[in-house]
Amino acid sequence: MAASVEFLTTPTGTPAGTGASRARGAGRLGHGKRTRAAGRLHVLGIVVLVMAMVLFFTPLIASAIFGFTLPGVGLTFASLSQAFSNPMAVQAVIMTVLLGLLTTAASLALLVPTIVYLHLRAPRAAKLAEALSVIPIVVPAVALVAGAGVFFRAVAPGFLVSPYALVPFYVIITMPLVYRALDAGLSALHLRTLFAAAASLGASPWRTLIGIVLPNLRAALLSAGLLCMAMVLGEFALASLLLQYTFPVFLVETGAAAPRGAAALSFVTMLATWGLLALISLISAAGNRRRRTPAAAPSVTSTAKEQP
Amino acid sequence: MTSARTIPWGAVPFFAFVTVFLIIPVIANVWAALTPAGQLSTASLTQLAEPQYADAFLMTTNLSLVTALLGGILGLILAWALTVVNRPAWLARLVMSYSALASQSGGVPLAFAFIAALGSQGLVTVLVTDVFPGALDDFRLDSFWGVALVYLYFQAPLMTVLILPALGALTQQMSEAAQTMGASRLRYLTDIALPILSPSIVGALLLLFANSFSAYATAYALAGGGLNLVPIVIGFFLRGNVMLDESMAAALATGMMLVIIIAMGIRLLIERRSRRWQLPSNS
Repeated sequence: MAASVEFLTTPTGTPAGTGASRARGAGRLGHGKRTRAAGRLHVLGIVVLVMAMVLFFTPLIASAIFGFTLPGVGLTFASLSQAFSNPMAVQAVIMTVLLGLLTTAASLALLVPTIVYLHLRAPRAAKLAEALSVIPIVVPAVALVAGAGVFFRAVAPGFLVSPYALVPFYVIITMPLVYRALDAGLSALHLRTLFAAAASLGASPWRTLIGIVLPNLRAALLSAGLLCMAMVLGEFALASLLLQYTFPVFLVETGAAAPRGAAALSFVTMLATWGLLALISLISAAGNRRRRTPAAAPSVTSTAKEQP
Repeated sequence: MTSARTIPWGAVPFFAFVTVFLIIPVIANVWAALTPAGQLSTASLTQLAEPQYADAFLMTTNLSLVTALLGGILGLILAWALTVVNRPAWLARLVMSYSALASQSGGVPLAFAFIAALGSQGLVTVLVTDVFPGALDDFRLDSFWGVALVYLYFQAPLMTVLILPALGALTQQMSEAAQTMGASRLRYLTDIALPILSPSIVGALLLLFANSFSAYATAYALAGGGLNLVPIVIGFFLRGNVMLDESMAAALATGMMLVIIIAMGIRLLIERRSRRWQLPSNS
């Protein structure tokens, strides 16, 4: 998913998750209203859906067959293991996973305290921060690299040489989604009440953040982390143009010489990415369900409200 | 309030981070585009009008228009099917979930999946040429239409995901009210449904356009440098494959950002207007 915009596109709320669940909700609304037609099958509609499924699955199935079979041999992992016989392959995978973890950590460490602070102390600056967080949508990765090259080569020439220089830029390109995911999660908590209650019991703000806010934010933190991982797993433009060797860069290199190995790896990558994204929408769906039932409303906040 | 309290100190790390890694690079880009030889000049920007660069912008625009319009039409049809099919429920649910995932696909893996299907040795290519020899002789995945086809794989479901909430806002009462007053289904579609949906449709198409305009990985993995698209040309400059000044890459990137900002700006304006329609019908 090198083109960050591809990812960002879902309109409001946390993308993959909320966008999908919202749309699904709207669809269900439509069904409810068409109760008269509920009894019969809508043939033309079903034909469209079945055709869509066939078209959706064709490249996926083709890559699985192309990558995991050989003519005359049948099912085999030969193409895959051949791709991994390249000593750079393992290195590229490790680098990508490491970058994903570092991006997640850096992103959460930067954004969680900031958004909590903005909610509590500076609501007006919060609007500015939110506006800034969506700017990466209109800055294509290629343009970001071009600008970063101009600036850092003039100021700190050695900086862009390190593969870890990718981390801050990954934090930037994941920010529109991660910021919204965290902002939505934090808006659902009664932050003022939590902090006032904890302070009245003698806890410092940092202790409240770590002991009270973070545990209540589990779902949003997990979604944000998975988003970072999914995006870093597919990011190609920045890594390739800054001449770093990550998994997608390795994949393109492999594809030129060994199309079957590349197909096998692509199949596995697509499944992994979709698995991460599906997990996010499951988490957000579970969160919504919990929020709707009053009995299960965040227990910490309900007890906190009774404190003076 | 004292002046010290008006500065949100706790948010300073965040603003500093965004400034260094996003705002300054963007400004540096524009600055480099405006100062080709260390001096303020519009030389680089006017060079964009030269045939090779103008062609890149034209081709990228064409690709974005084609994939936005075709993707938009296909996505609308799919969204319509999702709202009318309620049985079997699992089918609609499956297609919905899959659209959400496919709309976020793209990049290198998708390109190789398509090569496995439709490349010169691809499975679908082999199957089709067995039945109709020569039918796919002129089709190449690294051509304009090949890349466009692959882009449709994420553009069409993206349209579906974007437009479904708006379709859901069309209530049964609207069509019943129109029917009571004697309107045909076509009349309902042209006079009520489309006017209400049109801001959402245009807004979604603009987003699809911007999405395709900035895509790099998919086109690069499919066509290498073979296709004259703006992101790929910028990539060539940055990799140092082309011996030319930094200012030209910056000018191309600035032009690209400008196109995307215009598209997204119009979308924002339209979205504000369309909200007027959607709020009452949702309640």
